Amino acid sequence: MRSAWWKIGWRNLGRNRRRTLITSLGLALGYLAVVVMAGLSRGLVSEMIDNGTGMLTGQLQVFAEDYLPDRGIYETIGGREGVDVEALVARVAADPNVSAAAPRVYAGGLVSTGRATAAGVILGVDMKLEGDVSRLLSHIDEGRAPTPGQYEIAIGREMARQLDAAPGDEVVVVAPGADGSLGNDLFIVSGIFTTTITELDLGHAVAPIEVVQELVALAPGRVHEIAARVDDPWAADAAAAAVTAALEGDDAGLTVRSWTEFRPEMVEYANLVSSMEWMLIVFVFGMAIWGVANTMLMSSYERRREFAVLLALGGGPRFIVRSVLAEALVLGALALAAGLAVTLPILAWWSAAPPDMSWVYGGFTMAGGLMRPILRVEWPTSMIFITGGAMFVTALAAALYPAYRSARVPPADTLAGR
Amino acid sequence: MRRTILPAFVAALLVLPIRAEAQTAACAGLTDATEIVDCVDRIMRGESSQGIATMEVSTENWSRAMEMQMWSLGTDYALVRILSPRKDAGTATLKAGTEIWNYLPRVDRTIKIPASLMSASWMGSHFTNDDLVKESRLIEDYEITLAYEGDREGVAVWEFDLIPRPEAPVVWGRIAFQVRKSDTMPVFAAYYDEDGELVRTMTFFDYRQLGGRLVPAAMRVVPEDKPGEYTEVRYSELEFDVDLDEDFFSLRRLRDVR
Repeated sequence: MRSAWWKIGWRNLGRNRRRTLITSLGLALGYLAVVVMAGLSRGLVSEMIDNGTGMLTGQLQVFAEDYLPDRGIYETIGGREGVDVEALVARVAADPNVSAAAPRVYAGGLVSTGRATAAGVILGVDMKLEGDVSRLLSHIDEGRAPTPGQYEIAIGREMARQLDAAPGDEVVVVAPGADGSLGNDLFIVSGIFTTTITELDLGHAVAPIEVVQELVALAPGRVHEIAARVDDPWAADAAAAAVTAALEGDDAGLTVRSWTEFRPEMVEYANLVSSMEWMLIVFVFGMAIWGVANTMLMSSYERRREFAVLLALGGGPRFIVRSVLAEALVLGALALAAGLAVTLPILAWWSAAPPDMSWVYGGFTMAGGLMRPILRVEWPTSMIFITGGAMFVTALAAALYPAYRSARVPPADTLAGR
Repeated sequence: MRRTILPAFVAALLVLPIRAEAQTAACAGLTDATEIVDCVDRIMRGESSQGIATMEVSTENWSRAMEMQMWSLGTDYALVRILSPRKDAGTATLKAGTEIWNYLPRVDRTIKIPASLMSASWMGSHFTNDDLVKESRLIEDYEITLAYEGDREGVAVWEFDLIPRPEAPVVWGRIAFQVRKSDTMPVFAAYYDEDGELVRTMTFFDYRQLGGRLVPAAMRVVPEDKPGEYTEVRYSELEFDVDLDEDFFSLRRLRDVR
């Protein structure tokens, strides 16, 4: 019986194929618009999160619970005794969501050529592991990364400009040590990085972790942070919980936090964007619903005599309503098929080869992250389904009034042509 | 990085003793608050001095003591050299006008401290250098009123309130300054921020004759947010009106302080 309704709906649509085609194409284009816009906005959010966290912070951080907010040089993981850094890094990296982890030491200090001095964060990183966690070192566009164990330092582009320093130049690095002394040593500038993020380009310098530890009088087992990369940023909270659980007990006194905690503005932006997806659905289908309703009204008006006959034969208003709604559902299915046929290939192509928009605009920073001038698209999987559902709802809602009107056709008058 | 200083203690160390002398010489008999403070302030300037002091810094995480030698000329010029511990010996700081330079013997380099770090930590102590870097006189920057005159714990004192003038380039919202009436020795200075919160308290003690003058030979700064921490400076030697001129405070001298 159920298949009979589909059949009736399908045949009714076939009576005026051109109209059916135009209506379903309209819905399909609405589907395309919503899904592609959702994909684009999610792409923008992903790009922002990726750049905001991937450049330096990582998506997950582990540190001593007293380290924040002051970032005191003494507040190392494991206190004064420190920890087995290698083992701790391995335990953080063991989480399935974590793809890489690396230890870091942060020192506030000065980099000076003598004539000019710049203040900033002297970041000590494991030169072998850091590249898997953050991209900062890959942004060295002049010279090269510091060599492990050597007194070499990479500085930001703006700092280099202020110091008038180039790769190969000698600089003095001064930083207050953990023992109260004034750590100072000569470093060779090995490279200059350009991120276009002012905070990094102006206020950061990177050197091998073991060298920075020596500079600020920290033993090799004393680090401030284990930074980790979580490939799917939305899995970072789960990873943080799992890492917290894994480190509990013998590594007491540690705090694990994900980027959603230290970059809440990016979460807010992502939430804003996702709420806009719903608005997009409402706008697009809110417009489409009138077009569909118009079509359905016209088609039901043309079929008044048919409905009158059905009613005269004892079909009942319910029967009429059902047949009109079935037609709407089949229309929705047709439109969805058409929508998917158009949308999926476009999404696939777009996400595989995001168009380079650098001819329109250059890179810019947003929420502290560098945005590349490309139109990145993320697969909006949930939106593919939600929008499909919204389209059926639209088709059904558009058919409600025509169905109601059709069920109330007066059989005798209509058949008499009155 | 801990926000604290360098030259402030130079100012405090080298200048306060001179201030101490004020009352016996020029400041005796003054009663108006502004006049008293201005008198002390004027005497603080234009004098040269030389001394040796020990600075003890105690923080939550470490404690250390440093012996240092210092020279000053007015408030524009100061030179400090660390004598011990050995690790830091030879490290020297020069203040010339508004510029501050550091000499680091370990790397044999002289570096200029950028303006943005003028108020940054020097050797981890709790001093700030605001009053030294700002070269204006107290009466130019502050409205001075006598807030209290009478006995405090059996000692006759004045308590002055220093409120910055609207356009004054100072960081403090208010300074409360207590001075003993009997010998015009400073007792304490309490520094408040713009919200009226106490930030740090500097107390003076161990008043005795050094370089032929009565001075507070020791002073201690306690930051309000870390009451367990302090920086204490004690003089062992102090001389006034020594033969120094501006040429003494040169970068060459900074590298080779003798």
